[in-house]
Amino acid sequence: MDFVGFLITQCLNALSQAALLFFLGVGLTLIFGIMRIVNFAHGAFFMLGAYVGYSAVNIVGNFWAALIIAPLLVGAFGAIFELGILRRLYRRDHSAFLMVTFGLTLIMGEAIRLIWGVNALEVPAPSALSGIVFILDEPFPIYRLFLAGAGIVVAIAMWQFLERTRLGLLIRATSQNAEMVHALGTDVRLVRSAVFGIGCGLAGIGGVLAAPLVTASLAMAPNAVIDTFVIVIIGGMGSFLGSAIGALLVAFVQVFGTYYFPDLALALMYLVMLTVLVVRPGGLLGKES
Amino acid sequence: MRFWCGLAAVACLLALAPTGLPPYAMTLLTEALILGLCAMSLDLMVGYTRLLSFGHAAAYGLGAYTCGNLLLHTTIPLVFAVPIAAAFSGIVAIGVAWVCTLASGVSFSMLTLAFAQLLYAVAFKWTPVTGASDGLAGIPRSPGPFGITVFAGKSGFYYFVLFWLFGAFVFCRALVRSPFGAVLRGIRENEAKTLSLGYNTRRYKIAVVAISFGLGGLAGALYAPFAGFANTELLFWLFSGQVLIMVIVGGAGTLIGPIIGAAFFMLVSNLLSSWTDSWALFFGLIFILFVLFAPQGIWGLVTRVFTSEPSIARRGRWRSLNWTG
Amino acid sequence: MARAIATPFTRRTVMRVGLAAVAAPTVLRHARGETPIRIGMPLALTGPAAEIGQQMRHGAEFWAKQVNAKGGLLGRQIELRVEDTTGDPATCVRKAQLVVERDDCHLLFGMVLSSEALAVVPKLAEWNAIFMSSDNGDGRLTGSSFVPNFFRANISGPMETRVISLWLRRGEMQNFYAIGMDYAWGHNSIDVFQDEVKKAKKNFVGVVFSPIGTKDFSTYITKIRQAGADACFIVMQGADNNAFLSQAREYRLADKVQLLTSIVDLNSIHAVGDAALGLVGSTRYVFTIDNPANKAFVEAWRKEYDAEPDVFEGEQWQACQLLQAGIEKANSIDTDKLRAALETVAMDSIKGHVAIRACDHQAVQGGYMVKVVKPEGSKTPVPEIIATYPGDEVTPACRQMTFDS
Repeated sequence: MDFVGFLITQCLNALSQAALLFFLGVGLTLIFGIMRIVNFAHGAFFMLGAYVGYSAVNIVGNFWAALIIAPLLVGAFGAIFELGILRRLYRRDHSAFLMVTFGLTLIMGEAIRLIWGVNALEVPAPSALSGIVFILDEPFPIYRLFLAGAGIVVAIAMWQFLERTRLGLLIRATSQNAEMVHALGTDVRLVRSAVFGIGCGLAGIGGVLAAPLVTASLAMAPNAVIDTFVIVIIGGMGSFLGSAIGALLVAFVQVFGTYYFPDLALALMYLVMLTVLVVRPGGLLGKES
Repeated sequence: MRFWCGLAAVACLLALAPTGLPPYAMTLLTEALILGLCAMSLDLMVGYTRLLSFGHAAAYGLGAYTCGNLLLHTTIPLVFAVPIAAAFSGIVAIGVAWVCTLASGVSFSMLTLAFAQLLYAVAFKWTPVTGASDGLAGIPRSPGPFGITVFAGKSGFYYFVLFWLFGAFVFCRALVRSPFGAVLRGIRENEAKTLSLGYNTRRYKIAVVAISFGLGGLAGALYAPFAGFANTELLFWLFSGQVLIMVIVGGAGTLIGPIIGAAFFMLVSNLLSSWTDSWALFFGLIFILFVLFAPQGIWGLVTRVFTSEPSIARRGRWRSLNWTG
Repeated sequence: MARAIATPFTRRTVMRVGLAAVAAPTVLRHARGETPIRIGMPLALTGPAAEIGQQMRHGAEFWAKQVNAKGGLLGRQIELRVEDTTGDPATCVRKAQLVVERDDCHLLFGMVLSSEALAVVPKLAEWNAIFMSSDNGDGRLTGSSFVPNFFRANISGPMETRVISLWLRRGEMQNFYAIGMDYAWGHNSIDVFQDEVKKAKKNFVGVVFSPIGTKDFSTYITKIRQAGADACFIVMQGADNNAFLSQAREYRLADKVQLLTSIVDLNSIHAVGDAALGLVGSTRYVFTIDNPANKAFVEAWRKEYDAEPDVFEGEQWQACQLLQAGIEKANSIDTDKLRAALETVAMDSIKGHVAIRACDHQAVQGGYMVKVVKPEGSKTPVPEIIATYPGDEVTPACRQMTFDS
């Protein structure tokens, strides 16, 4: 494997990793940016997406359908939870959100175990995406190219959504001054429910897309939570662009760092996080100082 | 005066526990008290200074590993190893606090998380000192000085833990009622104002983090000889989250609340997990119900039912813990 | 929190009520008037090791049911006290102490992770309890961390690695790479493998360890490809193993490098599907083992659960059988008598001839190499036995983790 081929394949690996991390991170940063909620349960929504995707594939028989159904269901569940429980807590101490989302993680984890069982479940990628392409004589999975592409597509779609649509405008306005938005006649509560639902839905998409790579298993949630936090903290809580940059930074550091310094693999992410926080306490593009 | 009578009464009751309770209950009680100490130490940061830390596992784990190493590899008696390990945690914390207090609010919390996870990663790989993923096992309760072995037994160790818990509690209470504590509360209510009054708030924050870590390390140092082992799970962020929950469930900013919260947490999780495989479901439900219906925690409920404090004064005390926006 | 409170709702009342609730089950049991044989089983029933924990529980419950149906052991019914440890050593120690102190168990099964076992084992003497392991692979449990009350019924990590190395000696492959999960079991097994490769006069070209919880193995797969080895030895389990195998298939790694694994279980095969095809490995138990005891076991299992018994279900069954043989031989569950009896137990188990040796309480047993294939007409891949090795070649010398030749 020559160096150029190596470089290209590793960059593509990093991009596909970044895509998955981005799905997780952008949801969390949206939720934090608008509602100041640290959503401990974000990993559980990711995992739920994978399991719902598994069932959708088995019932409908089609991965693409699952890719649409699963995030919709997961997002709806998130929105309902916000309506039912979180909505009562906005006037309260923020430790309340911590407890509630922690409790939700426990409940969701156990509910998934009860419904789908303890064993890991196979979610095969669609046959169109199961093949390989040769990049300078090295095989590279088409599915990973698809992932990287999906990440870029969703990033652009989200950006356009926030910039060009009315709901996007309301979301951005609410993150800056919720009271003014309310005074101008919009029901801010609906905006919040929508944001929580969208955030969870994005985590759900991440789960469905990750499932062919890691299988749907109960270990998904705890592994995802800490990764998501790290990306969002590095990028800046509440910054959409920050979550994209955070995801790319972490993915590239992981891929190349693990290759050259495998012993540091566990510590790498936290070292980066620490460095960024010391230099810029709010994260790279964060609003806090 | 009422306070000291109450304290003496509880002390007597707990001292009598070994005579009345069966051995497995004593085991649970001892561990609950150790966790209570850990939770109370976190309350100094969370309840009194509003420094939300997601990294308290670092204090606990550091204390446990230090004490474990001292007991396994030296002949230092148990009664000295524990406070030495606690002091070490406190000193390390000064450095950590210095970095973390560069930021405030959510960024501070995230920095504590980063440090704790880094410590976890280091401990996971540093096999000669920490035993890596297996941890340290067979930690003895070393005798001495003068050949005292009374602390090696079940009841003896229980009294040892009780001594440290009460000592720490009295110390913390004195601390929060002192001028130092007043400044902490000032930082909690309005840091900008406290700063403008001329206090170097950063130094106070570093101090409280160091003390908090020292006491958290004390709890960890008690855990290592209690369980006879220490391992990397003690440093994991999940444990930090659990201790934070204990503080909140018990009632932040009260010192007693977190101790009760820890006992409650341990008792309920043990009972539930013996009763059903789906214990996590009910556990999560309990938290959500707490948040919705008992926001001031267990101790808040207790004081509400039994205190003769006029309601206005009570409301004032709790409002200080709310953030808006 | 709405209760009609007649008595002061203080901390000690909470404690008292809680502890009374904990004590209640013991009171009820004694009221029944018989003395069952209670076996404590602290297990990971939730958390990342839950798959294995559930298998072990099935195996033990199946055994208890069979024995109780025939009148019990020494005329007494067997009662399993199963507790959830979530795979955390601190919780495991707490739960083990609980079943010993609250339920009066002096026999222990379970403890999925070696880290859990290593934490509990120093306390066995204090509790006067015997632990029959069915799953812990760490070599130190019969080596530097050995205690007299510990018995290992299963194949250890060094033994399963040895099976692979014996198989390699026959073949033509010369260069070997290894990847393992970055914790005790991974390091232990790869150390033994490296030693074995050297003894076989072949080349060990490199090793890499991945942190527990790694989700993306692309970099590791790149390293394996670049190493230029004929085969790669894989020491992984659980979600990490599934992710690695799925992704190895993505990159068509098996086209270039033969994948050798130290664990082949049905759960994993079902989870990764065709990604498991072509995998060659050592297995601790497989339902296709051909001897009368296993055939009877598999048939009875199929009737009960409508499925094939998996690795840890079989291992647990063997552990239960060994404990039963020991208790019957000693005609008692007294710890000292049982220990002495167990040290001389030998039987024809579902895995062939098994004998516990007195010096380190390891059950000397043979090993099996399997290859994962998809037979005609079958929808799922199955492990097929390709080689068998006798116990004395596979088991290391007393208290050792490596082999002499």
